Amino acid sequence: MTNLPVPATVMVKRPATKNRLGSFLIFLVVSLYFLVPLAATFYWSLRGEKDVLGFEAYRKLFADTNFLPAFSESILNAVATIVLSLIIVVPTAYWVTLRLPKLRPIVEFITLLPFVIPAIVLVFGIIRLYSRPPLLLTATYDSSRFLLICVYVALSFPYMFRAVDNGLRAIDVRTLTEAAQSLGASWPTILFKVIFPNLRVALLSGALLTFAIVIGELTIALYMAQHTLGPYMANLTRSKVYEPSAMAIVAFAITWAAMGIIDFVGRGASRRAQMADTD
Amino acid sequence: MSYLSISHITKQFGDTVVVDDFNLDIEKGEFVSFLGPSGCGKTTTLRMVAGFEIPTSGKILLDGADITNKAPNQRNVGMIFQSYALFPNMTVAQNIGFGLSVRKESKELIAQRVDEMISLINLEKHAHKYPYQLSGGQQQRVSLARALAIHPQVLLLDEPLSALDAKIRISLRAEIRAIQRKLGITAIFVTHDQEEALSISDRIVVMNSGLMEQVGTPFEIYNFPTTVFSANFVGTLNNASAEVVNPAKSLIAINGVQFESAVDLKGRKKGDKVRVAIRPERLSFASEQKKANVVDAVIENITFLGSVVRIQIKIGDTKFNMDTFNNPFLELPKIGSKEQVTCSREAVLVLDE
Ligand SMILES: Nc1ncnc2c1ncn2[C@@H]1O[C@H](COP(=O)(O)OP(=O)(O)OP(=O)(O)O)[C@@H](O)[C@H]1O
Ligand SMILES: [Mg+2]
Repeated sequence: MTNLPVPATVMVKRPATKNRLGSFLIFLVVSLYFLVPLAATFYWSLRGEKDVLGFEAYRKLFADTNFLPAFSESILNAVATIVLSLIIVVPTAYWVTLRLPKLRPIVEFITLLPFVIPAIVLVFGIIRLYSRPPLLLTATYDSSRFLLICVYVALSFPYMFRAVDNGLRAIDVRTLTEAAQSLGASWPTILFKVIFPNLRVALLSGALLTFAIVIGELTIALYMAQHTLGPYMANLTRSKVYEPSAMAIVAFAITWAAMGIIDFVGRGASRRAQMADTD
Repeated sequence: MSYLSISHITKQFGDTVVVDDFNLDIEKGEFVSFLGPSGCGKTTTLRMVAGFEIPTSGKILLDGADITNKAPNQRNVGMIFQSYALFPNMTVAQNIGFGLSVRKESKELIAQRVDEMISLINLEKHAHKYPYQLSGGQQQRVSLARALAIHPQVLLLDEPLSALDAKIRISLRAEIRAIQRKLGITAIFVTHDQEEALSISDRIVVMNSGLMEQVGTPFEIYNFPTTVFSANFVGTLNNASAEVVNPAKSLIAINGVQFESAVDLKGRKKGDKVRVAIRPERLSFASEQKKANVVDAVIENITFLGSVVRIQIKIGDTKFNMDTFNNPFLELPKIGSKEQVTCSREAVLVLDE
């Protein structure tokens, strides 16, 4: 259950298809492919009490004194990761687009590294590097947690960079920057008044992808002895029958809520525009 | 002392010289166009005035102040882009007010100036729309208003009409010119469209591969081009190589057919090779007895171009185009027939290579 469904198709527009029946069939098959396991999991999660369908498994899950701390720790980790990642990725992507387009392939390659390096290799490399002075970070729980967040920031790069880069490509960054400059704007003004607002949807989708990764991450958290949701779920799967299913449904609901937020924010922009149109 | 003085500007990217010793003095309220083919350095020159590029050498003075190395946001210069460059997240009114809010002006002043600008461009009904809800022409007008709202000292326009369709292009260029006249603002307009440059400018700078070919009023550029390049680039042109026959009498010969020019050829010798250019509309059928430049021609083809009829003729072995205004009573010769054609001495331009 470490891989939550990833809302990777959020930004993609579906091309018009001529064959409506064909596309409907494909839609049906794919839907079944996703929905049947989901429905089965949901059904299973409702059987926490013998012979009755109900939310007993959910009640037990939330009653478990380890669940909420692990859950909130993961959420905090995810938020910290998103903030750090945004601070690093947005200015970098902006500057590469604006001034150093030649560096783009290199930056792209670097951001893709987390895809190429298996988590297990990454975690042992990190533990070796940071477990002795002068870079001793694995000594206490909190410093390890900080290290874990840094690793997550690196893991978020492929998603975050791609999302931000797409967002930057969708607007003419260079010309907008120059237009703002010629109107007298300084760099902070340009970033906060012109660039960020136009990247809103892109930033949000990057942030939510990051959230989805961090919330369920198992391998690295486990080896760094962190009490986050990933190890908790793994443990749960080993010892319980119905609760893991309930846990999966909860995680799934959170992801969908997140996607709903993207959609809402995206649509908010066009609704505001429509209102302006009618007056 | 002129208002905007661009002196000996050179710009290199690596080893390539993109603008070479550009010199221009622009008076306050003047409308100057940079005209030239793609890649000749028009945009680069404009961007140096805007501050987006720093010249490799040379100086730019604006109203007496040296702005050569000033950051773009420290210059008081308005810029209009081909792609409009409106901020997608802001309404028309917010776009226009942006420069003033950056300058921390009061809300009342901004609102008042925005209203003023919106009525200047006649978009009162669209103040609260977002850029994507406007047509290209409307967007470009908003971008004009946005640039003018800050009272810029110079307005720079980089091919502002190129993305628009033909009708809008013509009406908007008239609108731009009218607004520029009304506000008395100094403007530089970049274009590769000769008709646009001729119709809108006080003066035109013809540019070719980083060099200034010719500077002059539209009238001068069209009627008295000084180089082959500017003659060819502006308007259509017959051009042929010729030989000086008699420098004292300004006589030249194109493939053996003699023409008399008004250009002083005293600096040249008999037998010198020169380039001769004659505009198609300067050639006409020799109806009454004219003294100079009456030559025999064979009619090869006739093409209707709407208001103009273009007649292809052959004088000696050289092909020429001859344009005449279309009218219902026009009597056209038969193809293949022989006619006498003529042109004035002034029409025979002798150009530098
Ligand atoms: N940043 C740059 N680095 C290297 N070369 C450049 C740069 N900017 C422009 N050039 C080169 O300088 C030359 C002139 O470019 P410029 O954009 O000024 O041409 P232009 O006259 O505006 O052409 P167009 O009509 O196509 O816009 C071109 O050959 C271009 O390739
Ligand atoms: Mg250009």
